[in-house]
Amino acid sequence: MTALGRVKQWNTFARTWHLFDAKWQNPIESGPTVAKYLQGLHKPIFHPMSECGDHVVVINTKDIALPGDEWRLRVYFHHTGYPGGASWTKAWELHDKDPTMVMKKAVYIAMDGTLQRRYNMLRLHLFADERVPDEIMQNVTNQIKPLRYVPPSLYDYSEEEIEKFPKIVDYPHDYVIR
Amino acid sequence: MVFPGMALLQRAKGPDSFWKKRRLFRLTAHFRGRNRNVWTLVLRNVKRALVRATKGRIERKKDMHDLRVTRITAAVEEHGFTQPLFADGLNRSRVYLDTKVLADLSIWEPRTFKALTHLAWSKTFKDRVEGVDEQGTPPANVAIKDLKDS
Repeated sequence: MTALGRVKQWNTFARTWHLFDAKWQNPIESGPTVAKYLQGLHKPIFHPMSECGDHVVVINTKDIALPGDEWRLRVYFHHTGYPGGASWTKAWELHDKDPTMVMKKAVYIAMDGTLQRRYNMLRLHLFADERVPDEIMQNVTNQIKPLRYVPPSLYDYSEEEIEKFPKIVDYPHDYVIR
Repeated sequence: MVFPGMALLQRAKGPDSFWKKRRLFRLTAHFRGRNRNVWTLVLRNVKRALVRATKGRIERKKDMHDLRVTRITAAVEEHGFTQPLFADGLNRSRVYLDTKVLADLSIWEPRTFKALTHLAWSKTFKDRVEGVDEQGTPPANVAIKDLKDS
């Protein structure tokens, strides 16, 4: 094999690390997107019997946005296996206990219940905020496009930009801003 | 000893049952447990296996088609386009390549496949196909004005 062919093969079959920013993203919609990269469905060489999935690093999972009343209505079921061991945890309770769990469940549900699912989940790295260990972050070479546009908040603009923003009136001097 | 007369008029016996059974036992050699050796079970299971094999020949074609569509979808989405629009655009451009060829092109000839994606995108954009506007602006520098409308 030529040197070029060898490099091509490395590039084709090497595992890639993707970054997904979950800030203000719907986990129910984001789950299938992340699962696609974990299963390798985004590659033309995909085959169900070959393990061609990639790693996905999901950050800012504490800032996910469930639609409507889902935080109150969505319930996660668990059973210990003993009689009376069933428990139902609401989404907001689960998110308080572990801010990565709702996203993790969403990705897990998005994949088919095959034997490969647990191994695909091992390649998912979830972080509640932007603090990711360097040994993980140095592998990341791609960012998955967020499904929803995250509008900048007032704090993201500089004071100069806020000053320049067109105003209809100026507040009078004696006006008290609460 | 010689048997003249009636003995010669006897109906000819069929083939040896040992060899008849052996034909089926060869088909069950890879079965599990008693299904491999017990004649009554072998009879039943060989029949079922052959029925499944017949169905499998049709299923395999569907599975391969699904796999190729999956691969084409992945390759098309690399270039920011969608598979249904891609198939529609190729049909409108009179590019009659089947899924097998397209899947092979996406793996072995990625640049050719990219050109096909751009062609389909431009054609669907020109024909105002429903849903193409959501994909954004089509790639520039694609000459499709010489294509006859199908």
